Amino acid sequence: MDRGVRLMERIQARDTAAFEALYDGYHRLVFGIGLRMLGDPALAEDVTQAVFLKVWTSPESFRGGSFTAWVSRVTRNRALDVLRSRALRPESELPAELPLDASLDDDVLARLDAERVRDALATLPPEQRSLIELGFFGGITHQELALRTATPLGTVKTRIRSGLRRLRETLGERVSR
Amino acid sequence: MNERDDGAARTEMLELVALYALGVLPPVAAGGASAPDCAERVRAFIESDPEARREYEELRAAADAIALTAAEPVDSARSARMRERLIARVRADAASDAVPLRRRRPGSYAAWMVSSGLVAAAAILICVVSVSRDVSVRADLAAAQRRVAVLQGQLTQDERVDAQEQRMMTDVFSPGAKRFEVAQGMVVMHGDRLYFVLTKLPQPPRGRVYQAWTEAKGSTSMAPSVTFMPNAEGLALVALPVDAAKVGTVAVSVEPEGGSKAPTTTPTFVRPLG
Repeated sequence: MDRGVRLMERIQARDTAAFEALYDGYHRLVFGIGLRMLGDPALAEDVTQAVFLKVWTSPESFRGGSFTAWVSRVTRNRALDVLRSRALRPESELPAELPLDASLDDDVLARLDAERVRDALATLPPEQRSLIELGFFGGITHQELALRTATPLGTVKTRIRSGLRRLRETLGERVSR
Repeated sequence: MNERDDGAARTEMLELVALYALGVLPPVAAGGASAPDCAERVRAFIESDPEARREYEELRAAADAIALTAAEPVDSARSARMRERLIARVRADAASDAVPLRRRRPGSYAAWMVSSGLVAAAAILICVVSVSRDVSVRADLAAAQRRVAVLQGQLTQDERVDAQEQRMMTDVFSPGAKRFEVAQGMVVMHGDRLYFVLTKLPQPPRGRVYQAWTEAKGSTSMAPSVTFMPNAEGLALVALPVDAAKVGTVAVSVEPEGGSKAPTTTPTFVRPLG
């Protein structure tokens, strides 16, 4: 169980000290995702505020699993809202997500850090890596990825699947070491 | 369709599963509702196909991990500012949870009703305390206290709120509490706890909130405390997260949302505690 999960249990009991600890532990991640997606520190700050206020006011919306993954998705959705409100890409939206087998999610994420993931991403061929990162942080659809990178749509699909599978394998190897 | 076509179609669906895991599929496909490359259709496929489900779980874990690469140090000034604003909001919210005036959790309607009764009783008691010392008023006071006791006894739906509210009400109505009158109500000190019981607080301008300030004994500067809002009737019951024994003076001013580091407007009131 990652630390965030334990802190969220206390936050559900309105423990402000737990909230402060959670903020201290995760604000760099939340702000960083906002900044990568929006490219504007002021907007990233707004997103960070909004995400942590959601954590405080609606802690029940976290239903277990990896807190890191959950808060990342909440941040990403919030940043997408900002992108939509700026009318940069009104049609974009993260799909409603299927619940995951939490043990798999936890097992990988709990033992990873940014360095390991960066190392794993670096092992991907550049054409796979760039599509995956642009898709994840750019908040754009696969059709837009194809247009923006001047790559056939079928190739985009193949590269993303291959890249994610390879990334998963590499991360799994690194975690099990 | 032959086996080769079947294989190609399946591979294409699994590619869409990867796009779904990465979060780059639109809810509705550009090709219309019948086109396969939209999130809803892929989601249905994942739910119906065990292999797709496994693939999705594997790739979603990888996609989630990508977020970790965004974590970077935040410059210290920004980090401190964000933290201060957030923590002030959260502490204010936690303090107002004692008698929640703005937000109730689902399912606590009965508790809200009882809280409303307690708030009304508090208002009555304040009026009673502020105008009276004679026997008949003491009888009213006793009646109000009995009513509070009855209402407190009904608070069963939410144990956490119960405990906070009961402690606050017990403190506010305790004969041993010290009360310091201000134009808008009173400041109540009981043991090491400190409360504002304000009944005549006008709504602040849009985008503004009330903020409490505390000045430690022997100090000459005000420290920022919680922000709060009165309800529609101008009532605010606020628990200050301080050790009352160390506080020499309290004040309230109107500040921007999120609070200020130092008062930026003429205080609504300043009240020495002693």
